[in-house]
Amino acid sequence: MRTISYAQAIKEAIEEEMRRDPTVILYGEDVANFGGIFRITSGLKEQFGEQRVFDTPISENAFVGAGVGAALTGLRPIVELQFADFLFTAGDEIVLKAGMWRYGHGGAYQVPLVVRCPSGAAGVGPEHGQCPESFFMHAPGLRIVCPATAADAKGLLKSAIRDNNPVLYFEHKLLYATKGEVPEGADYLVPLGKASVRRQGDALTLVAISAMVPKAMAAAERLASEGHHIEVIDPRSLNPFDRPAIIESVKKTGKIVVAEESYKTLGVGAEIGAMLMEQALEYLDRPLKRVAIPDVPIPTSPVLEKFVIPSEESIYAACRELLN
Amino acid sequence: MDKQIALDIYKKIILSRRLEERVAELIKAGQVGGFMHPGVGQEALQCAAIAALRKDDYLLYAHRGVAYWVARGIPLDKVLCDLACKEGGTNHGKGGVMRVVYPELGVLGESGTLGGCFPIASGAGLSIKVKGEDRVVLCFFGDGTSNRGTFHESANFCAVRKLPVVFLCENNGWAVSMPTERSTAVKDIADRAKGYAMPGEVVDGNDVEQVYKAVSEAIARARHGAGPSLVEAKTYRLWGHWIGDPDSYRSREEVEKQWRRDPIPIYEKKLGDEKILTEAIKQEVEADARAQIDRAVEFMQKQPFPKPESALEDLYA
Repeated sequence: MRTISYAQAIKEAIEEEMRRDPTVILYGEDVANFGGIFRITSGLKEQFGEQRVFDTPISENAFVGAGVGAALTGLRPIVELQFADFLFTAGDEIVLKAGMWRYGHGGAYQVPLVVRCPSGAAGVGPEHGQCPESFFMHAPGLRIVCPATAADAKGLLKSAIRDNNPVLYFEHKLLYATKGEVPEGADYLVPLGKASVRRQGDALTLVAISAMVPKAMAAAERLASEGHHIEVIDPRSLNPFDRPAIIESVKKTGKIVVAEESYKTLGVGAEIGAMLMEQALEYLDRPLKRVAIPDVPIPTSPVLEKFVIPSEESIYAACRELLN
Repeated sequence: MDKQIALDIYKKIILSRRLEERVAELIKAGQVGGFMHPGVGQEALQCAAIAALRKDDYLLYAHRGVAYWVARGIPLDKVLCDLACKEGGTNHGKGGVMRVVYPELGVLGESGTLGGCFPIASGAGLSIKVKGEDRVVLCFFGDGTSNRGTFHESANFCAVRKLPVVFLCENNGWAVSMPTERSTAVKDIADRAKGYAMPGEVVDGNDVEQVYKAVSEAIARARHGAGPSLVEAKTYRLWGHWIGDPDSYRSREEVEKQWRRDPIPIYEKKLGDEKILTEAIKQEVEADARAQIDRAVEFMQKQPFPKPESALEDLYA
């Protein structure tokens, strides 16, 4: 199978879906003429025209909300935010409009909107470097997708575009350049809500999200060389959230570590912990461990950033602690 | 102005006023919830502006009264069921009277947060443009809401992309207890259009003909691809912000003076002078309004509340 980058996979998904469905449009700051600040969308304006691929003013409330309005009236907009952090700038439009319009109006409309959110710490500091998935996991009505591989980046984005609900699609900045095998063909889809078991094992369950997946895989490799076969689960989407996959794994292993690039308090790990308390406490033979940011904003200096962002080493250490 | 249109607008205004009076009675009697913001005094502009729309145009109404729905032709029984948060309305108790919705008539619903309407309206405009349709979007808002950032972002967005959106400001002088002159730096909100290179026009919101003319022109402009416009209709909220508002923030003299500008007698005199409205027609219109409202109230009273567990439905498509 051919190998392409995560960034190319995203572009390919957009291209294929725009070709397939004339109601799909793409817009955001600098996406058309410049091709996006991460250069994901270069050439798309030339291919699909300025009506379907265009630049917007710096107006996150207007253009994210316009995505909702356009979705209500028959388009399938893909809105690019320059940074996932800007979800907070457009908070009303994301949480109260995209998430609640359908419900508040008794199901009269659907909101097939995709908001692309480049996430993750990359030397860009507190307001450009977050992985804010868990904030929005708390909000009803929003689908949340966070691919970790090139194949999932493509398959999940295509599913998100075809989905009739608003989807926040988190693409981690440090994954853009990573490469992987991606099936060819316009019909390659990865369903939302289905976790991927990246590595099988019975010693411990390691749940890793987004850019934590490659770090978790490296930690698992090291642990395997020490004789511990751990199971790595990539949920791939947080809404819908494949809870059974995690519970099933914990029933087998009795131990769980959750690695995520968000703040520890009320992060995805907290939700998984609560879920296990409710549904699988009797299977846990050690307490859950969370590897996450220690509840501070993300600092800009690489030295400070490295200290707060979970690493292969900190994931390895958390697993080791439970295995000892 | 076409005589039939003038008379139709009159019927809608009367029906709206009488319905609002009945709704106030129902709220005071505890028969329905009270999350209703009456629009008494503003019906003329609301009905006149909506009369200028085509059936397939989009509408984003504001939270000031029932006239938007009456004017657009949403059945009264549905409006009342939404007010009562019962089945039989448009949103199954999910959004109450703040979120009456009617896709068949392009009624997109309402934003609970003030100013949430502007980006949604822009998006509907975007759809029209991308699909190459000749529909338009009419977006109502109040003077207070013109201070939201979403207004300014959306006005600019619509202007740079030449989207077919008509922004209609109902300047009723008050944002709950805050008078416009204390909340808003400009005297005329229409002046804000200049900042977005679109036409901005002030009209007397209690004059049906002026509103109909200005909104019709703005709609025609939008329909022909010339982009958005802003119309400011000066009016007055004759009742409180909600049913039961102590209304302690403004003087009785001010409100009394404004009752003398009540758009209904003004319009009746005008239609009478033009021989469009006779005493007989007037009586007929009143009787018809009463009968429609009676039927709708009776329907609403017989409707059940939604099943409690239906609270879990309608979130995802």
